[in-house]
Amino acid sequence: MSAIAPERTGVTGDRTEVTTGRTEVTTDRTGVTADRTEVTTQASEESQSVRLAPNYWPFVVPALVVVSAVIVFPWAFTLWMSVNRWTLGQSRSFAGMENYLRLASDPRFWESLVHTLTYTSLSVAAPMFLGTVAALIFDARFPLRGLLRGVFVMPMMATPVAVALVWTMMFHPQLGVLNYLLSLVGIPAQEWIFNANTVIPSLVAVETWQWTPLVMLIVLGGLASVPREPFESAEIDGANAWQQFRYLTLPMIAPFLMIALIIRTIDALKSFDIIYAMTQGGPGTASETINIYLYNTAFSYYDIGYGSAMAVVFFIVIVALSFILLMLRQRSQWNDAEGK
Amino acid sequence: MSSNPFKPTRRQVLAGTTALAAAGLAGLRPSFSAGVDWKRFAGTTLDVNLVKSPRSDTILKYIAEFEELTGIKVNAEATPEQQQRQKTVIELSSGRPSFDVVHLSYHVQKRQFEKGGWLADIAGYLADPTLTDPGLVESDFAEAGMLFAKDNQGVLRSLPFSVDYWIVYWNKELFEAKGVKYPESFDQLVAAAEALTDPSTNTFGFVARGLKNANTPVWTSLMLGYDMTPLDDKGKLRTETPEAIEAAALYQRLMTKSAPPGVTGFNWAEAQSAFLQGKIGMWFDGVGFAPPMENPEKSRVVGKVGYGVMPKGPKAHASGTFGDGLGVTASSEKKEAAYLFCQWAVSPAMGARLLQAGAGVPFRKSVLEDPKVREGVTMPASWLDAVVQSGNISRLALPVIIPVTEFRDIYGVALTNMIAGADPAEELKKATAQFQPVLDRSEQG
Amino acid sequence: MSSRLLNQIGLFFAALVIVSPAILFFLWMISLSLKFEIDNGAYPPILIPERFAWSNYVKVFEENNFLLYLWNSVLVTGTATVLALLIGVPAGYGIARLKAEKSAVVIMIARMTPGLSYLIPLFLLFQWIGILGTLWPQIIIHLVVTVPIVVWVMIGYFETTPMELEEAANIDGASSWQVFRLVALPIARPGIVVAFILSVIFSWNNFVFGVVLASRETRTLPVAVYNMLSYEQVSWGPLAAAALVVTLPVLVLTMFAQKQIVAGLTAGAVKGG
Repeated sequence: MSAIAPERTGVTGDRTEVTTGRTEVTTDRTGVTADRTEVTTQASEESQSVRLAPNYWPFVVPALVVVSAVIVFPWAFTLWMSVNRWTLGQSRSFAGMENYLRLASDPRFWESLVHTLTYTSLSVAAPMFLGTVAALIFDARFPLRGLLRGVFVMPMMATPVAVALVWTMMFHPQLGVLNYLLSLVGIPAQEWIFNANTVIPSLVAVETWQWTPLVMLIVLGGLASVPREPFESAEIDGANAWQQFRYLTLPMIAPFLMIALIIRTIDALKSFDIIYAMTQGGPGTASETINIYLYNTAFSYYDIGYGSAMAVVFFIVIVALSFILLMLRQRSQWNDAEGK
Repeated sequence: MSSNPFKPTRRQVLAGTTALAAAGLAGLRPSFSAGVDWKRFAGTTLDVNLVKSPRSDTILKYIAEFEELTGIKVNAEATPEQQQRQKTVIELSSGRPSFDVVHLSYHVQKRQFEKGGWLADIAGYLADPTLTDPGLVESDFAEAGMLFAKDNQGVLRSLPFSVDYWIVYWNKELFEAKGVKYPESFDQLVAAAEALTDPSTNTFGFVARGLKNANTPVWTSLMLGYDMTPLDDKGKLRTETPEAIEAAALYQRLMTKSAPPGVTGFNWAEAQSAFLQGKIGMWFDGVGFAPPMENPEKSRVVGKVGYGVMPKGPKAHASGTFGDGLGVTASSEKKEAAYLFCQWAVSPAMGARLLQAGAGVPFRKSVLEDPKVREGVTMPASWLDAVVQSGNISRLALPVIIPVTEFRDIYGVALTNMIAGADPAEELKKATAQFQPVLDRSEQG
Repeated sequence: MSSRLLNQIGLFFAALVIVSPAILFFLWMISLSLKFEIDNGAYPPILIPERFAWSNYVKVFEENNFLLYLWNSVLVTGTATVLALLIGVPAGYGIARLKAEKSAVVIMIARMTPGLSYLIPLFLLFQWIGILGTLWPQIIIHLVVTVPIVVWVMIGYFETTPMELEEAANIDGASSWQVFRLVALPIARPGIVVAFILSVIFSWNNFVFGVVLASRETRTLPVAVYNMLSYEQVSWGPLAAAALVVTLPVLVLTMFAQKQIVAGLTAGAVKGG
């Protein structure tokens, strides 16, 4: 039943059970991460497990130390730098909230925020839709499925910079293969990433090409855990394919769609390699997202203080958006529970 | 303009007219003075950081000669301009750069490098006869070169390597086909560009950099024709003046009506490859990008390229000028060996090769004025004429300030917006409002 | 029966359509890398040239110090992955057994933070310690990518391994380390393989850290190939060849370990960066 269970367990005979058990756990973990209150309610359970079981903390401590070192220190430092006036090669001085005020009145920053949100919403929506469709196809059985799935996954594994570079050649207004393909069906040549109006959709196309497989894989995991019985009875009741999808499959894979949505949102917000390698935010600033503007500020203008303030605000944006999504998810789960 | 530091001597101009004859390299043998102990640092290893361009290609090509001459091992690398500029500053500011010799673009990095204190004082080496060839004296460099190379206290921080004038490369065949003459003025430039443009045959009259940041010098060079520079002597911005707006409008007109689609993504390399395909009437950029023009492996326009001096503007006749040099990093532990490398790179032999290949124009008068060197120039005579005539009307095209990158970025964005149809006055106003505080802040710290 | 066959054929073609952008892209990439400039600049474009320009590949290795960059990439990715496994596998075990959700939160935040915001402070830190110019800054910063992946995947694995054996071992008086090493670890081997593969891929592909931290001697492949792009946009053949060389190891890994990767990603739903 599950296409992917055999390779990953190798533990016991009962593969299906292992699969479902694991995916459920995964969902829970993501849920808890955002909601601290839920963590505290579990505290009693946690301490119980500590009391009963041998001491597991020594296993965790090294990783916690490393992760904290590469997280806590940078964050403390970034916060400190963000209240300083400092350009590389020049002297540093305390600036208070100056950098943040500057940010508020910087039209380029607001513009980059708009670009980030546009880029993100498009590069979440398109892969979500296509990824779900692809998962539904790959969940079924047909010849060469394994091979085609392997090829389908390749874009997300390929080195983004290398991929971006080849896309740049394909987008070339005169010599690019894409304009040639368009001309075959009678569509006039486009300027793709070289035109302010089409640059974001063009970049989103690349991002979609690359990350649709991730959505597909997550949803595929969800589909694998869907039980057969309800579908059999639905078929007996005369439900058509769309109805089965809408009223049976969709609710059951909803948690997986939510995970995909959250992950895709975070990744799209952070997207850097493709944009930087293909347009560096251009033409002009037409595709300059916060991440690109942040990079330019820190590493082209060497304005570390201002760049740090931007990093802080950017992180808040990411956390805020993820939090909203997690809230939505929590509520939808709650509704599901009510519904049962 | 009489105090123009780039103006070559009369002898140079005269020599220009005689330079023609032979093709092929002049067979100049590098001869290095016996007074200098070149082998003194044999066994040392130097790290050299260069900007990728025809100029650094010339250095890389002959680096084995330096290794043989000195016994010094050189790890040299040329990286593309934008990355090189970012990385060198990051590394220099760290206090432990991974290189001993750095190639800097004066028009971008002069003030920044001085303020950071990143380059070693090499005046002492220049005065030391055991380290310096007697021919290498300050007075042998064009005045502008020394202005570039010395900081505001007058301390020598680098050796001027190559000066770059902006000229117009033009496709004679296309001009003839349309019965158009090489333009003498800005008005004629526009008229010619538009007459040559024919999208139905994929032919375009004009190309220049449209990519933000890279495109700013195009505009400031055009601005010189209106006798205007981005900053006045007191450092006040003049980017909203009627002249600045007119220059921007000219840029907009050329780049929208006569340039190929997608030009907003073009840096000099893309513009160059477009021109090499033979479908572009004129290309406006530095004189040092000439080598591939006459190379049949890379060019479809061999023998068809005219090298034109910048047409006259409404108020002035000026050629935008840029320069680069080689310096020793302040933190290097091999400063003297590194200095030897700089000296070798700006030596007459290397300068001759630079000029003869059409890869750049050395700052040293002894090279420019040497008739033997001129005879060996492989480029057509019109190229050398363009060099000499541009030298006569040369003016700095970028302001000497710290935040040059921001200047180029902010105004570059305004220019790309104009290519997309935005109003020049509006865009310049916005850009100036954005850049003014950056400029103010840069001089506070 | 025939309707089932028809159904299968329909699905096959649907899959083909949805896979076609990937197939066409990689085909075109290979085509670009094997053509001389003349053919790459031809219009209409040529898919299969008459002469193959193998010299493009020779050029990549001759001119660009590619072997050094390849070796750097191997060292950075290899070390960062091994270190991540050494600390991440026990951590995944500990977190799974403790149900320590707060620790998982820390990992999650690591995943949400944009890579750039690590870069400024860590760059200054490395400069202060004086290890810039070595490979260590990149190895350390790659841990930001690899450790969360490993921990995340391993939590998923250890949560699903049965507790009975471990409990039995505990009762027999084995220390928790012994239980981990002798009981839990062997069972989790497939999980470690998944964690290893994913960690390698996302570390290998990382670009932004190298752009800032790598110098000539310490450059990794993605950065090297990007440096080629900005100057030689005009010579597509060698550029496409370089791009293919960079991404080939991961693509081969993807092909061979497809099933493990699919399993790891569907379960843990991770991605680095």
